[in-house]
Amino acid sequence: MQNLIKLIPLASIMILMLFAFVIPLLKKKKHVYKLTLVIMSLVTVINLIHVVYIALNGGYLFDVGHFPAPFGIVLRIGEVESGIGLLFCFINLMVLWYSYFSLEKEIKSNRIGFFHTLDFLLLASLLGIVFTYDIFNGFVFLEVSTLAACGIIVVKDKKANIKAAIKYLILSSLGSGLVLMGIAFVYSISGHLSMSYIHEALIQNAEGKHNLILISMILFTVGLGIKGAMFPLHIWLPDAHSSAPSPSSAILSALVIKAPIIFLIKVYYLVYGTTILSGTVVLDLVLFLGVLGMIFGSLFARSQKELKRMIAYSSVAQMGYIFFGIGLGNKLGLIMAIYHIIAHAVTKACLFLSAGSFIEQTGYKTIDEFKGIGKEMPVTLGIFTISSLSMIGIPIFPGFISKWNLAMASIESGKILLLFVLIASSLLNAVYYFPIIINGYFGEDNLVGKVFNSKIRPVRTLLPLIILSVVMVLAGLFSGFIIEFIGRGIYI
Amino acid sequence: MKSSIVKNITNLMLPFIQVFGIYVILFGHLSPGGGFAGGSILGASLILFRFVNGSSATDAKFKYHYLLRFACSALVLYGVLKGYVFASAFLGLHDIIGIGTPGSLLSGGFIMPLNILVGLVVAITFYFIAVLFEEGELEHADLVE
Repeated sequence: MQNLIKLIPLASIMILMLFAFVIPLLKKKKHVYKLTLVIMSLVTVINLIHVVYIALNGGYLFDVGHFPAPFGIVLRIGEVESGIGLLFCFINLMVLWYSYFSLEKEIKSNRIGFFHTLDFLLLASLLGIVFTYDIFNGFVFLEVSTLAACGIIVVKDKKANIKAAIKYLILSSLGSGLVLMGIAFVYSISGHLSMSYIHEALIQNAEGKHNLILISMILFTVGLGIKGAMFPLHIWLPDAHSSAPSPSSAILSALVIKAPIIFLIKVYYLVYGTTILSGTVVLDLVLFLGVLGMIFGSLFARSQKELKRMIAYSSVAQMGYIFFGIGLGNKLGLIMAIYHIIAHAVTKACLFLSAGSFIEQTGYKTIDEFKGIGKEMPVTLGIFTISSLSMIGIPIFPGFISKWNLAMASIESGKILLLFVLIASSLLNAVYYFPIIINGYFGEDNLVGKVFNSKIRPVRTLLPLIILSVVMVLAGLFSGFIIEFIGRGIYI
Repeated sequence: MKSSIVKNITNLMLPFIQVFGIYVILFGHLSPGGGFAGGSILGASLILFRFVNGSSATDAKFKYHYLLRFACSALVLYGVLKGYVFASAFLGLHDIIGIGTPGSLLSGGFIMPLNILVGLVVAITFYFIAVLFEEGELEHADLVE
C-alpha cells in the first residue's frame, strides 16, 4: 500500500501523458470533455491522497526505472513538491471544467481535441519540473512545457496569437538555452546531474572556481527568469496571456510561470546550497529585480486599456513578490515565496476566468466598456471583486497573508526600506483594481439600457469559479496550517 | 514530378528503402540505428513517394486520420510499456518478457517493441511535417466532428 502511494507522482505524470494521446483517437467532442474531466478528477484525487500521506509520513526519494541515483533519474517528493503538485492538478481541473461551457465560443470546434491534448502534456511536464531531482530531466520537461504552452496560445488561430506565440517561443527557447548552458557549466565542475551529488561535488571543488559557479548561477537565474517573467524579461507575457483563449490564459498565468520558479528555488538550495549562495550577489540581484517588477508591473498595468492585458501585467507585479521573497534569502521569505505561488495561482485563475466570462458575454474588451457590468453580471463581478481584494491585500485573503509575512521577513533580514516598496506596490494594486470594481457596480454613465441580471450565466457554468474563489478564501483562512506545512519541507 | 524515368525508378527503389528502414528499426538493439534513425528513413520514403506521385494520389493512399490514429496508438502503447517497466522496477515485480539470448533478434527485453513504436511515430511525424510545409495545414486530420 505504501509502495503504491509512493508511485503516485510518477503515475500522475504517466497517466496525463498517456491520455493526452488517447484524446485524438476520440470521435465526439462530448467524449473528449467527459474523458478529460474524469482523468483530471482522478489525478487530483490521487494527489490529494499523496499530500495526506506526505503530511503524515514526510518526504522521500523515488528512483525511476532500474538504475539508482548517480546514473538513473530520481524524483524528490517533499512537502513543497506534493503541495504544488496538488495545486496544479486542482487548478487545471477547475479550468477544464470551466472550459467545458465556454471553450467552443473562443476556438474552432475541430481544435478542441488538440487543446486538451496540449493541456495534458503541459500539466504532465509541469509536474515533472516540480518533482524532479535531476537537473537535466528538469530541462527536458522545461522544453516540453514551452512547446505545449506555445500550442495552447496558438490554438485560437488569430493573427495576434501567432505573433504572441512566436515571441514566446523565441524568448523561451533562449531561456532554455541559457539553462542548458548553466547545466553544462555545473556538469563540467561536478561531473554529476543529480542534485544532491552536484551539491556534494561543488562543496568539495568550490576552491578557486567561484567565478565559474557564479556564471552558472547567473545563467540559471536569467534562463528561468525569462520563463518565470522576472521583471525586465517579462516582455513576452502580456501579449501571450492577453491574446490566448481565457482558459489558456488562466493556465499560463497560474501554472506555467510558476513551475520554473520552483525549479529555480530547487537549483539555488539543493544544487548550490546556502553556503555558496550567500557568498554571491545572485540573491541581491533577484531581490532588486523583484522590487522593480513589483513597482513597474503595477505601473504598466495601470496604463493598460484592455482588461486581460491589465491582468497580465498584474501577473508581472505578483511574480515580483515571489522573486522578492526568494531574494530576501531567509527562511520566512522563501516560505512566503512558495505560499505566494499558491495564493497567486488560485487568485489569478479566478481573475482570468471571470474576465474571460465578461468578454464572452458582452463582446467588449477594454476596461471603459465594462462600466456598469455589475448590473448585468453581479455574481461574476463579485468573484472578480473578491479576487482583486486578495491581490490588493485585504485581511483574511491570501494576498494579505503573503504581504504581511513578506514585510515580517524583510524586517527580519534588516532591510526596513523594503517595507515602503511593499506598501507602494499594494497601493498601486489598489489603484488599478478598484476603478474596475467601483465603475462596475456604480458606474452611472454606461447604465442606460442595461437590464439587471440580463447577461448572467447559469449557476452551473459558474460553479468552477465559485469553487476556486471559496478555495482562495480558505487558503487565506487556513494560512497558518499551509505555512507550517510548507515550512516542514523548505530547503533551507 | 513529370518525368516518368524518375517516377518509375523511384517506385522501384521505394520498397528497398522501406525494408532498410525496417531493418534499422528491428536491429536497433544489436547494431547502430534504432527507432528514431529507422523511423526517419521510413518517413523519408513516404515523403519521396509524395513528391514523385503527387499529393492527391498520396492522400488517397495514406489518409491523414488513419496515420494520426496509428501515431497516437503507438504513443499510448509506448507509454503503457514504459510505465509497466517503471512501475515493475519500483514494485519489484518479475519481468514478464525476460532478456532472451544476447545477440539474437529476440533479446534485450522491451527495447525492440519500444523501438518499433518509436519508429512508427517518427515516420508519421516526419511525413506530417513535410506535408505541413507543403500545404500549410493538414486537412481533415482531426477526428472531432
